[in-house]
Amino acid sequence: MSESVLRLENITMQFGGVVAINDLTMHIDQGEIVALIGPNGAGKTTAFNCVTGVYEPTNGAVYFHDKLIAAGHPQGKMKRMYAGTNADKFVGMKVSLTPDRITHMGIARTFQNIRLFKSQTAFENVLIATHLRRTSNIFTAAFHLNYKEEKRNRDRAMELLGIVGLADVAEEKATSLPYGMQRRLEIARALATQPTLLLLDEPAAGMNPQETIDLGLFIQRIKEKFGLTVFVIEHHMDLVMGISDRIYVVEFGKLIAEGTPHEIQNNQAVIDAYLGGNDE
Amino acid sequence: MRKMSKLRLGVCLTVVALLYFGAWYAEKSMGANLGQAGFMLVGAYVYAVFTIPLKKHAAVYQYYNGGIIQFELPLIVALLLAGIVAALLAALIGLPVLRLKSDYLAIATLGFAEIIRAVVQWDSLGPITNGSNLLKTYPTFNNTKIFGTTVLFPFIVSGVCIALILLIINSTYGRAFKAIRDDEVAAEAMGVNLFHHKELSFVISCFFAGIGGALLAMFQGTVQANSFKSAMTYDVLLMVVIGGMGSVSGSVIASFLYIACSEWWLRFLDNPLTIGSFNVPLLRSGFRMVVFSAVIMVVVLFFRRGIMGDKELWNIGMRRQKAGRRARK
Amino acid sequence: MFDRILPYLLAGVSVGGQYALIAVGYTMVYGILRLINFAHGDIFTAAGFFMVYLVASLPMQLAIPVVIILTVALGFILERVAYKPLRTAPRMSVMISAIGASYLMQNLMWYVTGGLAKQYPVLPWLSNIVQIGSASTKIVTIVTPILTVGLVIALVALIKHTKIGMAMRAVSHDFETSQLMGIRINNVISMTFIIGSALAAVGSMLYFTNFSTVTPTVGAMPGLKAFVAAVFGGIGSIPGAVIGAFLIGICESLIKAAGYTAFSDAFTFALLIVVLLFKPTGLFGEKAAEKV
Repeated sequence: MSESVLRLENITMQFGGVVAINDLTMHIDQGEIVALIGPNGAGKTTAFNCVTGVYEPTNGAVYFHDKLIAAGHPQGKMKRMYAGTNADKFVGMKVSLTPDRITHMGIARTFQNIRLFKSQTAFENVLIATHLRRTSNIFTAAFHLNYKEEKRNRDRAMELLGIVGLADVAEEKATSLPYGMQRRLEIARALATQPTLLLLDEPAAGMNPQETIDLGLFIQRIKEKFGLTVFVIEHHMDLVMGISDRIYVVEFGKLIAEGTPHEIQNNQAVIDAYLGGNDE
Repeated sequence: MRKMSKLRLGVCLTVVALLYFGAWYAEKSMGANLGQAGFMLVGAYVYAVFTIPLKKHAAVYQYYNGGIIQFELPLIVALLLAGIVAALLAALIGLPVLRLKSDYLAIATLGFAEIIRAVVQWDSLGPITNGSNLLKTYPTFNNTKIFGTTVLFPFIVSGVCIALILLIINSTYGRAFKAIRDDEVAAEAMGVNLFHHKELSFVISCFFAGIGGALLAMFQGTVQANSFKSAMTYDVLLMVVIGGMGSVSGSVIASFLYIACSEWWLRFLDNPLTIGSFNVPLLRSGFRMVVFSAVIMVVVLFFRRGIMGDKELWNIGMRRQKAGRRARK
Repeated sequence: MFDRILPYLLAGVSVGGQYALIAVGYTMVYGILRLINFAHGDIFTAAGFFMVYLVASLPMQLAIPVVIILTVALGFILERVAYKPLRTAPRMSVMISAIGASYLMQNLMWYVTGGLAKQYPVLPWLSNIVQIGSASTKIVTIVTPILTVGLVIALVALIKHTKIGMAMRAVSHDFETSQLMGIRINNVISMTFIIGSALAAVGSMLYFTNFSTVTPTVGAMPGLKAFVAAVFGGIGSIPGAVIGAFLIGICESLIKAAGYTAFSDAFTFALLIVVLLFKPTGLFGEKAAEKV
């Protein structure tokens, strides 16, 4: 257990009366590619947001390399409204790091609805992500005393653009790029923060089958190259089954299955969730 | 007379350009700062209070026994101090206020400007600020000579400030500020600490607002807290947009046009004019400002991206070159 | 003690009512366009000038409705000229346009009046003096809060129960979707400006009965205060704006009673900032959740 890169313990996320995630426990080990799948609205992106510090979990704890990065338990009004389980398990634990701190620790992410810096070029988009590992302060940066670091960052940004195949469009405005390129640019930007864990939120959304296959190969390639652990949310089953070491399936916020791609493919609960069970 | 107005123009231009930068800069990273006037006021007062010659104190602070500040600072030191005090105040105010979002932040900064204005006029602070009375007799543009001329000083100061701002904008911090402006959530996810950077940009912009205020004081010859109303902030904001919201050179051009238009080219509109026996209608005192504000509205409505958009004067040629170079490769 | 405070309390409630009438205009426009309508204070001033000039040629009974109609027309024109062309522009541009419009109106008023302060006509009955307990005051002091609350209740009823009201709520909730649902956005927006201006016109009559000189920039401070009131109550919420306005009016008046007249404006803002620190979206503002 202790070699887990990321560990979620009994995560529950409740917005008002709506329980988006209910008692989700999972772990991701070093060097794995783990996928989180489930029907729309099952709470996948919410899980990402709990890990990256956008939301503070209503209940439960998240560990990154055994370090607590997010924890919460029902408080105040939520005490009364809480609809999840294990409400007493995490009493007294409350940790909420801001997203930038978590990125600093080595978790980088992409967004489901692409969020590039619109007014800036592809190159600048990647370059901004090198900002967090700076050693300069405002004065040394303003007077360009950090020129060595600046040069290193620029080279690195260019190299990353090369790796994702966007070197040719480095000077184009990010938002003028085609959809597929914007997705790859988001990955390059995430890589520029020098993560050890990469969170990809539907990286293949809107891609055709060929692009999806390429993306799968690409993810495996960067995983090897940068020694990453990858956590991916995806709907394209070909991609998920092709690259994942393990898969978690959620439905209505609840974990319904966990296992290797082979196990998941033959899991009755998963088949029911996707094809509609025989409720009627 | 003509020469006077040109000098006036140059001076206005520099003051305005500085403020412009402050506003633009803050706008880039934290949303509208409607408190510019308050920080200008602080800058103007700090400068004036510390540069009034000792032997004039008795006359200036006549209601407060000559005031309690019994020393004077060299001009440049006082000018820097004006910026620094404004920046420190901004750092203090920023701690609570910058956690607010967009419009709430804007109105809170505006509120602080009003509070500053009231506090400075407070009678108990009279020995320092001279209460609601004028501060005067400190060195102004008219008696600050560099190389034997009074024209150079404002241009040199603003030149230095503009250079500083350009350096910051083009540094890694400048890029982070722009990123926050574009998308806060994404910037944070890329490891940019929102609060830290907002505070930083607020402090920087207020530093320049403070220096701008000091220059304004030098230009006017007297300062009084009551004239630093929010209308002053609005002026600056208008220029931000007219120049194009992301362009330093656009800002300089806009502030030049703004001042030239309101103070110089349209002057004739205020005076009744008779051509032969024909009395040109409408021309009388106040008409200039009507035409001027109508021109502003036309610019705002029909040239939405401002004069320069987000391009720089020196970049217009450069981008094309870069594209050409790549094509040749 | 109470006898000494009473006149100030009355004045506070009265001023608060006047702020409330202006604040509703701010908050409605903000609710729908997400725009701080900086020119609203100038519409208020313009209503004052309309009255000054109209009374010279019309009997009072006629002048009052004409003032309201003219003010409404002004608000309508302002929206069509300064805001409608910028529907798709970034919010910053619209705000600048608002500042520009405010500028233009102020300068125009300055030009027309020659920059001189004008004496506001005495509205009969409203200016009569009445005795309440130990305090004597103008009738307007009593009328203002009653009129304000009445008008606001009518407005809330309009928004809750009529078709245009429903459209307004829809537009303020989601601009684009309501457009897709076939709501005529422009009509709805015009309507908000019409209502806002009408209330500002009524507010100006009440306000200038107390402070009887009109200058081109006289609307700036009450405008700003009203805006603060709107933010205070949670901008976008009508009851919030009204409660905020009354609170600010009363606090301001009490500060004056305590002898800190010079600080009454500063205190208003300090109060606002303190409230925002504890409730970052005002007293009744909705917390906007951003989808990631």
